[in-house]
Amino acid sequence: MGYGFEALTYNIKDGYLEGIVRGHKTGLLTAADYNNLCQCETLDDIKLNLTATDYGEYLKDVPATLNTSTIVERCTQKLVDDWSHMRAHADEQLGTFLDYCTYGHMIDNVVLIVTGTMHDRDHTELLEKCHPLGMFDSIATLAVATSMRELYRLVLIDTPLAPYFSMNLTSEDLDEMNVEIMRNTLYKAYLDDFAQVCQKIGGSTAEVMGDMLAFEADRRALNITLNSIGTELTFDDRRKLYSNFGLLYPHGHQELSMAEDFEQVRAAMEKCPAYIPIFSRMSYGESQMLDKLLYEEEVRRSVLTFEQQFHYGVFYAYMKLREQEIRNIMWIAECVSQDQKSRIHDGIVFVF
Amino acid sequence: MGVMRPELVMKSIVPVVMAGILGIYGLIIAVIISTGIDETTYTLFKGYAHLGSGLSCGLAGLGAGMAIGIVGDAGVRANAQQPRLFVAMILILIFAEALALYGLIVGIILAQKASSGS
Repeated sequence: MGYGFEALTYNIKDGYLEGIVRGHKTGLLTAADYNNLCQCETLDDIKLNLTATDYGEYLKDVPATLNTSTIVERCTQKLVDDWSHMRAHADEQLGTFLDYCTYGHMIDNVVLIVTGTMHDRDHTELLEKCHPLGMFDSIATLAVATSMRELYRLVLIDTPLAPYFSMNLTSEDLDEMNVEIMRNTLYKAYLDDFAQVCQKIGGSTAEVMGDMLAFEADRRALNITLNSIGTELTFDDRRKLYSNFGLLYPHGHQELSMAEDFEQVRAAMEKCPAYIPIFSRMSYGESQMLDKLLYEEEVRRSVLTFEQQFHYGVFYAYMKLREQEIRNIMWIAECVSQDQKSRIHDGIVFVF
Repeated sequence: MGVMRPELVMKSIVPVVMAGILGIYGLIIAVIISTGIDETTYTLFKGYAHLGSGLSCGLAGLGAGMAIGIVGDAGVRANAQQPRLFVAMILILIFAEALALYGLIVGIILAQKASSGS
């Protein structure tokens, strides 16, 4: 296809950061670490085990009253620090790419604040719950907006999310259903844009990220379908929320948008060979395991990106793997603190 | 570098100095070649030998310069975070410098051939 010569020029600008991100990857928790964590009896044990890993710096001076949210917050802080370091050292085009990786979090933060304001939650409490990688300057002023048009004109027009708002989106009022539709429309536009940026970068980045984003798009299509079964979202509206790329585009989308229960969804997904193994591991009629299986697939693909060199996919994959690790730690900490250790293995996805 | 870690600035200048040495190699070859050029008895053979000598030193210096640039950049950034990497960075820079040195040696051999054999 004409790529393969990145080895000649990649290291000129991005060699240091690829080395850094691979170093971070070797510091991710392994199955042995997870086994140690699973055998902990209290949160203090968890903290002790984690201080022996890469999280040591961040968990050293945690106050005595330990709870799961503190641990998770400190671990997320490590991800944020690593990411900021990489972003600070990044040259173009890597800088743009790293920014694009965080726009998904930005969208989630916007939706979080808007929903929270709708339910009259406290302002500062909402800001604390936002994902730190998705913060932008004017985020605090989101609470002021009462309709989507105001949201766009007052706040979002200055953010990188501005191009994702289309005209038909801004004429709605802000209520539960429309906020979810807004989230999914923004996310669709963001994924389409991100895929185009990766294609423009070209080379093995385009190939690797193409795969990763196609899976993300298909997974979101699947989740949108499952969540909108039984709601008042019409088939056409549902179809409009699916991204314009991915393995399911366009024929799979046609079938998915008409699906009305889980079995029809499964039939539509199984027409795509790549997703057959995921669905074959779920027994007939059971849909709870789907989330975990999708996470496992994402982790598998993320680990595979590290097999190739000289592309930007490793940065995206590192962020995904770190987030999965934080989810695992949160699950383990919750199970331990609520004394439900039998369920520990239901919720964690081993990375290595 | 100098803003956040001023004490490391002089150590970080090493890659720049090594790149400068490549220019000195070029100067050496230029001087050697120029002593072999004269107005009347400059044969075609001598001309080509001098051309080969200059090209070998210059192109090898080009490759070594690129290598020193990439290694120097990554090495200096890494050294700022982890001071124990200084020796490793110097070692890699020396090996990259050696590429230009080999070019210089070949260039000198060719220039000698020009002035002695015909």
